[in-house]
Amino acid sequence: MKIGLFIPCYVDALYPEVGVSTYKLLKSLGLDVEYPERQTCCGQPMGNAGFERMSVPLAKKFDELFAPYDYVVAPSASCAAYVRCFHPNLLGKKPEDCEAAGKTVDIVEFLHDVIQVKSLPAKFPHKVSVHNSCHGVRELGLSSPSERNVPKFNKIIDLLQLVEGIEVVEPERPDECCGFGGMFAVEEQAVSRKMGLDKVNRHIATGAEYVTGPDSSCLMHMQGVAEKEQLPIQFIHVVQILASGL
Amino acid sequence: MSSREEILGRLRENTRETYNFPDLSGMNPITFSDPVAEFIKKTTTTAGAQLIEMQEGDDLNELIRRAYPDAKLLASNLPGITADLNPDTVEHVEELMKVDVGIIEGRIGVAENACIWIPQQMKEKAVCFASEYLVIVLKREDVVSNMHEAYARLASSAEYFQQYKFGTFISGPSKTADIESALVYGAQAARGVTVLLQ
Amino acid sequence: MSTQHSKAAEVYQQHTEVVQRHDQTFFGVRQKRDRMAQALPEWERLREAASQIKKHTITHLADYLETFEANAVRNGVHVHWAADADEYNRIVYDILSQHQVKKVVKSKSMLTEECHLNENLEKRGIDVVETDLGERILQLMKLAPSHIVMPALHVHREDIGNTFRKLIPNFDEIAQSYAAVGSMPADENDPTFLTFVARMHLRQQFAEAEAGMTGANFGIAETGDVVVCTNEGNADMSTSIPKLHIVSMGIEKLIPNYEAMGVFQRLLARNGTGQETTVYTSHFRGPRPGGEMHIILVDNGRSSILGNEEHWQTLKCMRCGACMNTCPVYRRSAGYSYTYFIPGPIGINLGMLRDPRQYSDNVSACSLCCSCDNVCPAKVDLSTQVYRWRQQLDSLGKADPMKKMMSQGMSFLFNHPSVYKTALKCSPMVNWVPAPLMNLKLNPWAYGHQMMKFPKKSFHELWKEVII
Repeated sequence: MKIGLFIPCYVDALYPEVGVSTYKLLKSLGLDVEYPERQTCCGQPMGNAGFERMSVPLAKKFDELFAPYDYVVAPSASCAAYVRCFHPNLLGKKPEDCEAAGKTVDIVEFLHDVIQVKSLPAKFPHKVSVHNSCHGVRELGLSSPSERNVPKFNKIIDLLQLVEGIEVVEPERPDECCGFGGMFAVEEQAVSRKMGLDKVNRHIATGAEYVTGPDSSCLMHMQGVAEKEQLPIQFIHVVQILASGL
Repeated sequence: MSSREEILGRLRENTRETYNFPDLSGMNPITFSDPVAEFIKKTTTTAGAQLIEMQEGDDLNELIRRAYPDAKLLASNLPGITADLNPDTVEHVEELMKVDVGIIEGRIGVAENACIWIPQQMKEKAVCFASEYLVIVLKREDVVSNMHEAYARLASSAEYFQQYKFGTFISGPSKTADIESALVYGAQAARGVTVLLQ
Repeated sequence: MSTQHSKAAEVYQQHTEVVQRHDQTFFGVRQKRDRMAQALPEWERLREAASQIKKHTITHLADYLETFEANAVRNGVHVHWAADADEYNRIVYDILSQHQVKKVVKSKSMLTEECHLNENLEKRGIDVVETDLGERILQLMKLAPSHIVMPALHVHREDIGNTFRKLIPNFDEIAQSYAAVGSMPADENDPTFLTFVARMHLRQQFAEAEAGMTGANFGIAETGDVVVCTNEGNADMSTSIPKLHIVSMGIEKLIPNYEAMGVFQRLLARNGTGQETTVYTSHFRGPRPGGEMHIILVDNGRSSILGNEEHWQTLKCMRCGACMNTCPVYRRSAGYSYTYFIPGPIGINLGMLRDPRQYSDNVSACSLCCSCDNVCPAKVDLSTQVYRWRQQLDSLGKADPMKKMMSQGMSFLFNHPSVYKTALKCSPMVNWVPAPLMNLKLNPWAYGHQMMKFPKKSFHELWKEVII
């Protein structure tokens, strides 16, 4: 199994440690991982802003660059979702006819569904509140959407339970949006900020020391809001917790 | 071209793919082993109505008098009911707005939501809505589990809508929560309902 | 970078208590809906059935409309067809003036709001009285509705009390009779008393009106029934006292038969208010003895929407309001922040279908969280449709210039990996920009966020140096 590592643009620029954790974790599981260097972005920011035509060349490049791999793994639920759900349309192809879109997965679903990890040397003796990012829940199916009458499940929590010493909780309104939404955060500043504040406060109310989730964009937004208000909680990507102990 | 032709034409022109009516046989809707028990529970809780299970030998008029001792003006066209006004013969429909208790007949009870099917069986249906309090007489054997069953009965029954072209499902008294979400009974129509289950 | 929605929403955020209450109130309705959903094992089957029934009916709509009309006519109903809002208003006026109607009582209908019926009739000297309590309050206070099902939840009881006292002529008389009936004194801040006042006031209106108008939640093709669902019974009062009944029905409200009606009756209130049923589910099949019944079938753009491949599924909407209750943006910005009379996810899409240039300001009011898709009882693909409308904004000349510039900037960077990597190398310089400069209006991120710290080395650089 050859894995192509996809490190989204903002993870690359702002949270490279998330990329490092992802790489280390995959290698520790004995996997063959490559990082095609000419990668940049999946195109989601432009797409959500209304300029998806600007994402077309990026989708084409992505498709070519990641063609040789069996799986494309990204530590970002929303980016993996954009590639899987939107790239086929951008390329004017059916998902099965794309080289990369169909096999692009987020690290959580990769570990949970493909590798089916049953144990990890990870140690994280802290209380964490799980942030169920919208695109993870509703586009990738990382957990059961609270709106639906379906059997309850949460792949993020399943993986976190493998970590020694950890205490995992969920906030009230467990999958309400944090308000990042890409350009939404700058176009609808006031509502975005309020949504972020409300979400952070709900995480804090669980008594957790950390907020953790599969998407650095959500974490980045909440962290920015929390720091501005000097709210006492820390933020860490799920993959960093799973890779602790390596 | 009339608007009718224009609209129908545009609809036909703009239809690309068509879809079939789904097969609903696999719906498996919620059913109750004792629909009457569930109906009684829902009626007296979520619907906010009273319910009296009639016994052998009970007198309807007696039960109504006991339920609404202060009532001065009663209205009904049901045989055997003592009433002051008859919605079949009342001269001005506005008179029914002064009625304290209207007594009407229900023909289907629905356990899942305490709805009672009231076919119009009187000239002036205002008695069903304008009365301060409503008494609905319903037979136990007419209670079904859910709305699918209720609508199946309506669809197959020729008797409804024959004489009067109206029918309604009523579930308890009139309600509103439009003012700051505060629940209030008796918004416009009946402020209280008593179901007499025969 | 802003739209009318974002600007209005920003002003609304200043009233933190109000925002909190609005958010709690409508999330509460979402939670009641959740309880209804969890209580029925067949819930997801019902949603799928509703979606398929609507898709079937809409794609055979012309045939079903003909069947519906034939049945209605056979039942003694007058059926009219209105291609647009103007024709609709003309037809209503003609019917009313032929019957010398001076006062109309009406129950809630979003269609009548869409066509601006009330203003049109008032202009021509016909008094229109809204009988839904929330709508009547708004009518007296000259306010617009803020939600399609619970339109007046944002109004405070004190203001309602004041308005009633000022505008309801026999307010004092009613207050006295209230005290006489129960043992409670008439308290202007008590919703029970206020509802009583409205009840007595509206009873007088029912008696004085010569016509009653209703909307239609559903039309049933097989029988010619018009179904109207209310909790108050005001549609029934409006049609039981005055002898003339006019139904206003959007053509997309049609469903084939009673089997379908079972599905929709079970979904409507559960989704709209979190109740198992509305108190009244009334089937109007024909006129009252001695009365007259008219149905006006209204198109007003619906037949064109059918031809819109990306957006025709909005025709499945049953106007339950569940999407706005779950929308985190609606809950924190409220109805008045939107420029279309229907807010929330369905409002964004319907507004764009009505007039994409006029209502484009609402397209920003969405974080694409997809919660609405998961509550919609008819499975309208709301968030996908908002995403698609965003792609149209540029060609409509409505794309925000700053967003466009940022997108172009990003596009350039991402399409030129060497430039991108150079930018990454330089990004830590941002850390050195003094805070006052960073927090200027030019940096929209700084509005609500502490600026991020750019790490010394990006992943690209780390990979080169450390990992290889």
